[in-house]
Amino acid sequence: MLIQQVFNGLALGMGYALIAVGYSLVFGILRLVNFSHGSIYAFGAEMAMVFIGFRFGIIPGIIAAMILTGVLGICIDKVALEPLRKKKSMPIASLITTIGISNIVTQLLIVFLGSEKRNFPALFDFGSVQIGHIAVSSTQIMMCVVSLILMTVLVLIVYKTKIGLAMRAGEQNSRAACMMGINVNFVISFTFFLAGVSATIAGVLVGSYYQIVYPNMGYMAGLKAFAAAVLGGIGSLPGALLGGLIVGVSESMAATFLGSTYRDSIAFIILIIVLIVRPHGLFGRKGITKV
Amino acid sequence: MNRKRAILVAVLSTAALSLLAGCGNAKKEANNTDKANADTVKIAVAGPMTGDNSEYGIGFANAAEMKAEEWNEKGGVLGKQIEIVKYDDKNTSEEATTIAQKIVSDGTAAGVIGHFSSGVCMTAAPIYQENKMIEISPSASHPDYTKIGDYIFRNNTVIEKEATASVDLAVNDMGKKNIGIISIMTDWGTNTSQVVKDIVQNLGDPDVKVVAHEEVMEGSDDYTPAITKLNEAGADVVICCGMYNLVAPVAKQYKAINPDIAIVAFSNAYSQQLIELGGDAVEGVCFPVIFFSESDDPIVKDYIENYTEKYGSAPSALTSQAYDSVGILLTAIEESGTTDHEAVRDKLREVEYPGVCGVTKFDENGEIDKEFVKVTIKDGKFEKMAE
Repeated sequence: MLIQQVFNGLALGMGYALIAVGYSLVFGILRLVNFSHGSIYAFGAEMAMVFIGFRFGIIPGIIAAMILTGVLGICIDKVALEPLRKKKSMPIASLITTIGISNIVTQLLIVFLGSEKRNFPALFDFGSVQIGHIAVSSTQIMMCVVSLILMTVLVLIVYKTKIGLAMRAGEQNSRAACMMGINVNFVISFTFFLAGVSATIAGVLVGSYYQIVYPNMGYMAGLKAFAAAVLGGIGSLPGALLGGLIVGVSESMAATFLGSTYRDSIAFIILIIVLIVRPHGLFGRKGITKV
Repeated sequence: MNRKRAILVAVLSTAALSLLAGCGNAKKEANNTDKANADTVKIAVAGPMTGDNSEYGIGFANAAEMKAEEWNEKGGVLGKQIEIVKYDDKNTSEEATTIAQKIVSDGTAAGVIGHFSSGVCMTAAPIYQENKMIEISPSASHPDYTKIGDYIFRNNTVIEKEATASVDLAVNDMGKKNIGIISIMTDWGTNTSQVVKDIVQNLGDPDVKVVAHEEVMEGSDDYTPAITKLNEAGADVVICCGMYNLVAPVAKQYKAINPDIAIVAFSNAYSQQLIELGGDAVEGVCFPVIFFSESDDPIVKDYIENYTEKYGSAPSALTSQAYDSVGILLTAIEESGTTDHEAVRDKLREVEYPGVCGVTKFDENGEIDKEFVKVTIKDGKFEKMAE
């Protein structure tokens, strides 16, 4: 049972890791915790469900949802966050704004799609693999595979491409980057787009794992993924992965040994312990100012 | 000096008191004339219209509006048109308290249909009771709810009766002996699971036992840890204390581990959405209901057809109970010839109402007693179980 629960936790954790990546991407460049990310994740999953419902194929449907969600990310930045940056408002203003946006996105989803849980097609339903006493479903395996691929792609983008270089430059000193001819606003938009796309992939994978999507799915998942991002060291992509896995497995363990009532608190208990012992997270660099 | 002050205080306070009393009287009279002169009979519908569980509140409101329209076409009640006033309590006790106070201070409503979950109903009900406002909940099944007072009714069976039917389904109809319970952590879920345990214990059959009980958070989608534990404990039937959004994922995730598991649920999971969400996994899920949508009764058939045409989806059991609740309230108003709450309340206990959920009659506690229909899901449809 123990190993089975570890596997369940790993699949759960991969989902958190994919959401946590979005927090890290935006934090990495803006030093801003984007609390609307959980609702963007729910938006991506709901849109994927809607587009798949249109019957022009599952893959095009998911790609359309990814693009739309990415555009939503850009819109959020352009409409609400960029004006704040231009006015040089306090960082806390942006933070509160993201919380507000999170509510707006969720409520709009409820208005247009209803709050009920809806069926999401199982994308990787090839049965399950039996290893000894443990049953690992194909969806669990595919979740891990897709997450790792996405993580690799993101790391490559950030560390090996020109736009990645621009992102890192913008993070270190946006004014200096601007003077070097980098269009910082474009880079920020691109980051939000990337975060939206990864949130959609997370939404699709988690949605097809449980075969359920609903507007409020991003609330708890978003908070736990935030815990995972901080745990791994916010701003660090491998940290997000590791943090997600730790949160997922510990949640699964807590549900098994302490009862399902403790599962939602365990992520935050671990977060607090890690932050006391290692204030900058597992992979985080020193000197990062946290919100 | 002291004496003078004391006299002054006494005079002032009497004056203030009589003023207040005067105000109260004036207000009451105004209310009464309002009520007499109003050209509509108002019925308040309170439930979650937004947020989680909004499908239930919207279902209540839809059903109430449909019933009101039917009456209005026939000329309304007491020669007046019926108006449905919707209130959104978001299924939270805080909102429900505010709404209850709003409804009673307004005072024009003939009665309240609603509040959805038992816990929310039980915070709002004392306010209604104190102000002599009739409340009929189509969904609350917590045993303490109707004990709050004589203005508090429910058009739903109390959980003991329903749980007895569910256990009967599991033990006698399915012939299972090792019962696992999975319940949501709400007032209703915790109470229901306890009720199920007590019933199993009182069966007096040493072979039948509850092997495991897992409580889960409502709305967490991952139930695998709880399911793995139930499965290790050797459960051969699982009683799901939760709504369709618990039953569907549990069925899916349980059947991935153990395809032979039998699942029994409650009537609040009886909804078309259960089949949509659960797909193949909910095949064979059983529950006792007092409203059966595939019934051959022409009243029910018409109702299902009209509702589906109007709102685009088939009504759930609770929606239908709301539909009947409005009907009962209107019938009681018509028969008592007034919207006076006390007269209507007394009449409500006498009315025998033939509705889509069979004949409904409240007893002196505001409870109803109904025969359960045992329903199962077969080939993506609800079906009556063979006796």
